[in-house]
Amino acid sequence: MAEDERHPSLALDEVVHQRVRLGILAVLSEASECTFPVLREELQLTDGNLSRHLRVLEEAGLLEIRKGYDRRRPCTWISLTGQGRTALHEELAALERLVRRLRRQER
Amino acid sequence: MTKSLTPCQFPAPACRARRPRGSAGVPTRSRQAHGGVWLPVTALAALLISSVALYRAPFHHAAEVTVSVPYWAGLPAEQRAPIASYAFWFIGTATVFALMALWYRQRGRRTGMRVAWQRAVGTGLAALLALAVIAAVPVQLPQDVPLGTLTDRSPSAGTVLLHGLLTPLLPVALAVLVLGIVEHHRALVVAGAWVGLLAWIQCTFGILALPGALLGMRDSGARTDLLPGPLLLAMALPLLLFAAATAARSAHIGRSGRHG
Repeated sequence: MAEDERHPSLALDEVVHQRVRLGILAVLSEASECTFPVLREELQLTDGNLSRHLRVLEEAGLLEIRKGYDRRRPCTWISLTGQGRTALHEELAALERLVRRLRRQER
Repeated sequence: MTKSLTPCQFPAPACRARRPRGSAGVPTRSRQAHGGVWLPVTALAALLISSVALYRAPFHHAAEVTVSVPYWAGLPAEQRAPIASYAFWFIGTATVFALMALWYRQRGRRTGMRVAWQRAVGTGLAALLALAVIAAVPVQLPQDVPLGTLTDRSPSAGTVLLHGLLTPLLPVALAVLVLGIVEHHRALVVAGAWVGLLAWIQCTFGILALPGALLGMRDSGARTDLLPGPLLLAMALPLLLFAAATAARSAHIGRSGRHG
């Protein structure tokens, strides 16, 4: 089957498409690095919930977690990997194709 | 009896925390993180404008002009002292880059989001280093021409194009361009390209001589017609406008953040 004949929803990635994980990738795409508390605050999550989703994304190779110190205080910095950036772009492209297809049917 | 619902059932601070950021004029962290671009851009524009002081006659035509390559002052015009020009660009650019690093590190700590400023500074420093290395390469003089002899040989096209790259304005232009990419500001990318293009054209053909050069006409000597003062101001103007606009927006975001 040709690529453009497949339903666009088939191109959505399960790992990326989940609401919180998509939010994490979107926030991280806006900066080179972001701290754990900022991500938690931006997405209004609990520590446990955010950690769980970060682990899923890290295991998929979509983000990097770096633990360090900022003025002697422990600080966790999170950044997108190249693979993560590509995955986000592909997800957005698939969503755009899906929206275009549905709009065409509405007309 | 039905209980009347307030817009938010949580106490005020919690209500603010639950309100989606960026949806009702509340600044997002990302906007705050990228709101600091005005200072590095202002510093780079100030560097360009203050380089006007390196030229002997930046705003009027001198009767006699001596220009040597590389253009350590930045543009092909007579400079006051080559060593002063050299020191100005190598110390001044490095100082501005150090200021950028300090500014972005401090903002990163405050907002919790970092911008990839290292790419802009790294590109600028690498270009500055490349300029120093290329300029240090000894030039092979023609063997058949005794020193001090004037020849009517015009430089090759490759030499002319290379001379266009031997200016300390290009590292600044590259730094602005890359800063625009990492800060997601298309206007800044265009401003960086504008600075680089003006500098390169002036250092190769001369901006006023460009139409003639493109049409294959002889050099009419228009190279020195565009003075370095107005040209540097034309380079810095888009940067200053951009910095003013982003500083105003950043101040507005700061105010709405405090009230929101």
